[in-house]
Amino acid sequence: MKILETNNLSKSFGGIKAINNLDFTLNQNEVRGVIGPNGSGKSTFFNLLTGIYKTDEGSRIFLNGENITNLETHLIVERGMARTFQLLRLFSEMTVLDNMMVGYHLHVKYGILSSIFGTRTTRAEEKRIREEMMELLVFIGLIDYAFMDATELSIGQRRLLSLGRAMAMQPKILLLDEPAAGLSPVNVDNLLKIIMSLRKRYSTTLVITEHILKVVMETCKTITVLDYGTKIAEGTPTEVKNDNKVINAYLGEELDDDQVLRELNS
Amino acid sequence: MSFSNKYRINLYWAAIIIILSLLPFIVPNLYQMHLINIICINIIMAIGLNIVKGFAGQVTVAHIGLYAMGAYSSAILSINYGFSFWMALPGAVIITVIAGAIVGIPSFRLQGPYLALATLAFSESLRIYISVNTDLGATIGISNIPPPVIFDFTFNDAFLYYYIVIPFTLISIYFSFKILKSKLGRAFKAIREDQLSSSAVGINLRFYKTIAFVISAVYAGLAGSLYAHLDPGFIHPNNFTLQESVLYILMLVIGGIGHIWGCIVGAVFITLIWDLTREYYQYQLIIFGYD
Amino acid sequence: MKLIFKFSLIMTCFTFIFTSYAFSEGKIKIGVSIRMISDIGFKHGKMMEDEIQMINDSGGINGKMIELIFLNDECKSEKGIANAQKLIYQHNVHLLIGSSCSSVTLPMVDVSAKGGVPHITPHSTSSKITKRGSDWIFRVPISSRFYKSVDVAHIVKNVGLDLAYIISADSASLTQAEEIRDEIKRDHGKQPLMFVTVQQGEMDFRSHMLKAKSMNPDALLISAGTVAGAAKALIQSYEVGIPASVKRILGSGASKQEIPTLAGDAVKGVYFTAAFSAADDRPIAKLFTRMIKDKYGVLPDHDFSQAWDLIQIVEHALRKADLKLTDESLASDRTAIRDAIANIQNYQGLASGPISFCADPTPECRDGNKTPVMIEYTKGGKDFVTKVLGTITFKPNHGL
Repeated sequence: MKILETNNLSKSFGGIKAINNLDFTLNQNEVRGVIGPNGSGKSTFFNLLTGIYKTDEGSRIFLNGENITNLETHLIVERGMARTFQLLRLFSEMTVLDNMMVGYHLHVKYGILSSIFGTRTTRAEEKRIREEMMELLVFIGLIDYAFMDATELSIGQRRLLSLGRAMAMQPKILLLDEPAAGLSPVNVDNLLKIIMSLRKRYSTTLVITEHILKVVMETCKTITVLDYGTKIAEGTPTEVKNDNKVINAYLGEELDDDQVLRELNS
Repeated sequence: MSFSNKYRINLYWAAIIIILSLLPFIVPNLYQMHLINIICINIIMAIGLNIVKGFAGQVTVAHIGLYAMGAYSSAILSINYGFSFWMALPGAVIITVIAGAIVGIPSFRLQGPYLALATLAFSESLRIYISVNTDLGATIGISNIPPPVIFDFTFNDAFLYYYIVIPFTLISIYFSFKILKSKLGRAFKAIREDQLSSSAVGINLRFYKTIAFVISAVYAGLAGSLYAHLDPGFIHPNNFTLQESVLYILMLVIGGIGHIWGCIVGAVFITLIWDLTREYYQYQLIIFGYD
Repeated sequence: MKLIFKFSLIMTCFTFIFTSYAFSEGKIKIGVSIRMISDIGFKHGKMMEDEIQMINDSGGINGKMIELIFLNDECKSEKGIANAQKLIYQHNVHLLIGSSCSSVTLPMVDVSAKGGVPHITPHSTSSKITKRGSDWIFRVPISSRFYKSVDVAHIVKNVGLDLAYIISADSASLTQAEEIRDEIKRDHGKQPLMFVTVQQGEMDFRSHMLKAKSMNPDALLISAGTVAGAAKALIQSYEVGIPASVKRILGSGASKQEIPTLAGDAVKGVYFTAAFSAADDRPIAKLFTRMIKDKYGVLPDHDFSQAWDLIQIVEHALRKADLKLTDESLASDRTAIRDAIANIQNYQGLASGPISFCADPTPECRDGNKTPVMIEYTKGGKDFVTKVLGTITFKPNHGL
């Protein structure tokens, strides 16, 4: 069953096409890898999906059959699509627990007025959220740091927290933007384990972009390869690995002498 | 988190309330009582500013404009339309809230110093408008603003007025804590920390920024109204200049932006320093950095 | 525990400040709240202090010393109110002097009336001050109701009724300008050509001047709020090409010597009304002018003379009053001083006319000086020359 679909997705900055007529479909419960060399448009793709960038004309994005093109970010998030950021963007002057509780924002069962005037039910709800988030912190292994500010965490712990915050949102689709960047190999394994068990627990559909190919190759059944904003390949890890276009994109095309001369003359 | 802990905290609050309600019997003279009233009003102002600036991180200089709005609407309502204090105060708060929501609009697009400039424009133009508009008393000011009355009992000096001010102050502090510890406070802090990230967890930035400005406007309107009716009931546009605005920001900075107790300490401290320096006017420039 | 700690911190702050001030018995305490920031305000304060020092050095008032307490109000009513209350209730002063600005004096009148303290103002001219019906207020300077009548009489007789007002939004200027406008409307049925209020501290009046020029007025009534602003306004009126035949009429602030110095030749032919002229050739005025010039390095304007007159009046009154100066006699001492001031009749000091008070809490009784003087600048620049056009003594109930 299709959960996310894009038609003709395009985005240009000035004259440069960052994403060019991309058609992308994602099925329920899938774990999809999106790879590509630097500047191939992976982050732009995520920013378009979550409404942070506005798409060019003619683009369509459907979430569960609903057109969500150019909706505001918080509205898209409300419809069940969450993301993490490559640069984490944690709420650094807030405690780890508060970070998690902000993640739970959309599911809090009281309104603005009761957060000012409410008494017993509000307090009970707060308590419930706090306990649930504590439990989730146990799950991702940050319970010991619950009352520390996010700035005081190590890079690995921050990556975990950003994942935890996204999971607290209980999304249908989670877009992970380079979740393993800057981690040591041991931490990468640990992170992958946590990602997969979280996925099982919340039955979330995952989209992962990654530089470290190992991460995607091991976790994803299907991989989409982007280069210069276009999809150049899609398939199982083995198919993608052996695709000429992919190899060229990563290693650079080898030109023969005739081609070089032609390039120079033009 | 046990029952006894909660019980103890309630006991603390009870003790504080008793001490505060006995304060007029300890304080030796009327001037010092007047100063305490001013301190209380400044506390309300400071924690109101703290909500929009400390919690939600929106750099606003318009708070003083909202304060003026509260004071003037309360004064006009009670003098020109014959409202009693108990009607003028909510009226002033409502008018200020509307203004506050409008002041919040630039925050949708502007941040940091740019937002400060946009909000500065509001408070300064309001002050200038008041100071040239003869219907609002212009620079002659509005005098004879009636004091609050309950059943023929008039709160017309600082000792009595304290019993009007202090409940409002305590309630303001209480609600400030409640906001901080709720979903609303968390959303404000998230916006302060990272706007993009907050929208990515589903926080509606415009809505919550407007709410932050509106809540702070409630505080400013309340403080303004309380100030207008404070004996001898006189307001003047000179009391709402950029200098005062800086003073309120100073209260926040001294106590630590974002901390409610810090704001209270800052408000007390700055008001007392302000009081002391008038006797040593030669040194005022050194302390406050402006004259 | 944390809560208690924080709370006690705040309470310590309170006690630190709220230890009551010791009452110094046997001294006459006078509280002063004026604008002490600007250079000239500072000099007024200094002069008051020096005069009081001279009284103390020569044995005080019937053997009793005077203690002067200065507070700065920055011309802000909030601080003026706080100052008045501090002086009355904390310092227990016998007499309150203040303030420089009408907008600060106005609420102070209510405070002094409530506290039962004689209150005498050195500089405030707004007619509203004595109209509040306080038993305790006295005014040394000339009320705006007298100033405006001089202006109106002069305008009607010598100038013409097509007027353009450019008025600074400070309370004294605005009150006076509105009173002139209303009187001309009432007695001569003539609306002003234009009436604009500008911000206090405004420096650029050219757009207003151009508008005024297009209307061809008989006279410009200018009040710029600051001396620099007034000088700029005069210069700019020539810059935009308003001819010299259009009279420029300024407020009483034009007596300040900076205006001719800054404005240069643009000041020639400017009229203003004041309570004192540095060109006054009475011996006492000459002596005073030289004394101020030697001591404070400026030519005295009428703010100086009024502050000086005020101290003399206070001295006279204190000598007449029967003061016990004990803790218990505070209220009766205050009443005695009030009655002594109210008894002052025909005090002839530097001011253009005699100053008299009486006991009723009405403007008739409490506006001391009733004799404005009209002055014209005949030469600008540093060595400016003024000419006294005339003085009028009004009946006490004039303009009410």
